[in-house]
Amino acid sequence: MREDEYRPMEIAYYPGCSLHASSELYDIQCKLVFNKLGLELKEIEDWNCCGATGASKTNEFLSIALPARNLGLADATGLPEIVIPCSSCYSRTLVSQKRLSSDATLKEAINAELGHKIKGQIKVSSILEVLRPKVDSGEIAGKVIKKLTGLKPACYYGCLLTRFPIDIDVPDNVENPQGMELVCNAIGAEPIDWSYKTDCCGASASVNDAEQSQLLMSRIFKDATARGANCLVTTCPLCQMNVDAYQDEVGEKYGIDKRMPVYFITELIGLSMGIDPVAMQVDRHFVDAMGLLKELNLI
Amino acid sequence: MTSSVLKYEASVSKPLVEEVMSRSGQNLQSCYQCRRCAAGCPVGEETGVTPDRLIRMVLVGDKEAALNNYLVWKCVACYTCGTRCPNNIQTARITETLKQMSKEAHLKPLAPRIADFHNAFMTSTRHLGRFNELETVAIYETKTMLKELAKVNLKAMFDEMMNQAKLGAAMTKKKRMHFDLDRVKNLSEIKALYKKSKGR
Repeated sequence: MREDEYRPMEIAYYPGCSLHASSELYDIQCKLVFNKLGLELKEIEDWNCCGATGASKTNEFLSIALPARNLGLADATGLPEIVIPCSSCYSRTLVSQKRLSSDATLKEAINAELGHKIKGQIKVSSILEVLRPKVDSGEIAGKVIKKLTGLKPACYYGCLLTRFPIDIDVPDNVENPQGMELVCNAIGAEPIDWSYKTDCCGASASVNDAEQSQLLMSRIFKDATARGANCLVTTCPLCQMNVDAYQDEVGEKYGIDKRMPVYFITELIGLSMGIDPVAMQVDRHFVDAMGLLKELNLI
Repeated sequence: MTSSVLKYEASVSKPLVEEVMSRSGQNLQSCYQCRRCAAGCPVGEETGVTPDRLIRMVLVGDKEAALNNYLVWKCVACYTCGTRCPNNIQTARITETLKQMSKEAHLKPLAPRIADFHNAFMTSTRHLGRFNELETVAIYETKTMLKELAKVNLKAMFDEMMNQAKLGAAMTKKKRMHFDLDRVKNLSEIKALYKKSKGR
């Protein structure tokens, strides 16, 4: 191979169930954007559900064992790092890896059932952990062909990017994370400062405890509106689904007039780098996400 | 709370405290009731029980209250309490433990819809190895509907149907609904893990 021949760096990839279903657009965007950044996502073979909150609430063993099987598959790729865009999958996988690093008996019990044994050496990264060095190095800013001027996102992190049920070193400020703001600044957007960036949207409570989750979401919308945001941006498919699909209902119920598109961080990066919005399925949001971009002359 | 610190019996509280501490991995005894967790709990206002109160219930040996309160069910696992606790107690781990204990004690869930949802999620995941949105909602709605039907609560049935229909229609319109069956090939490994989880 010639030295100057372009060769993307490979990174293992766990999409998780949402990105293969209702949030397929996020899967598509991740692949397109990472490709632009010279990273090839290698989806791990035959992955399973991480168990999410369902397992941790009902079955301690499975909450560790289900992500452990994926970790075994990820370790088998021989790659040094795996990126997990969904916050819940990321959190559960990291918790499983950390727990098994200090519980040899449990690790042995789980490994006994697995074709690909968990070794535990792969680095588990959120999407922001992969993007951050590329912001710091100027690589992202260098690839921007259209600055997202006028876009004022409220960066919404939700719970699981910075808070874990066990001791884990979080590579950002826990109460006031900045990773997404740094990405937004690098692509010319103007993120606002606000108070509800790490508050909970209710997650699956939107289905099984609607009143509770709608109350939580109303606080998020009220603050984002009051601080002058014109959109929300997130990295979590469950947060995205909730604050997008229920925004109308919550707005009507709590007297909030403003509706804001809820972007994934990937579609904003993609737009700034000239990726076609329709190819990224930006038109598949519940609150219209194309209108604001047209209004601001960004597409 | 049905009993209080005034009725404290070490012989009653000790086994409960020990079980919850060992299963959740949390040192409940280091709680000094500063209530930072309570201030940050997003559901505390609605449940009437905040994480500090829950810890207290366990410490005074009030098993009935500890296994049977709304916080155990409505906790959204946001982990704010544990992140802010000066003594590093993860109350969300405690609610998880208490919920599992409540299930083992065959107590009727205070929030049956939440219990049914988590069970439907785990059933669907065992079946396919991956979470299937349609299957999970179908199992969950069937259980919810049958319960409302038994109570002849037609209004609740109608509301539930309308809500799901609204979301379903919006998802279909935005092409966010997926009908293909995404499943794990090596399902025997998943089944083996489920089997092993029983009796643990």
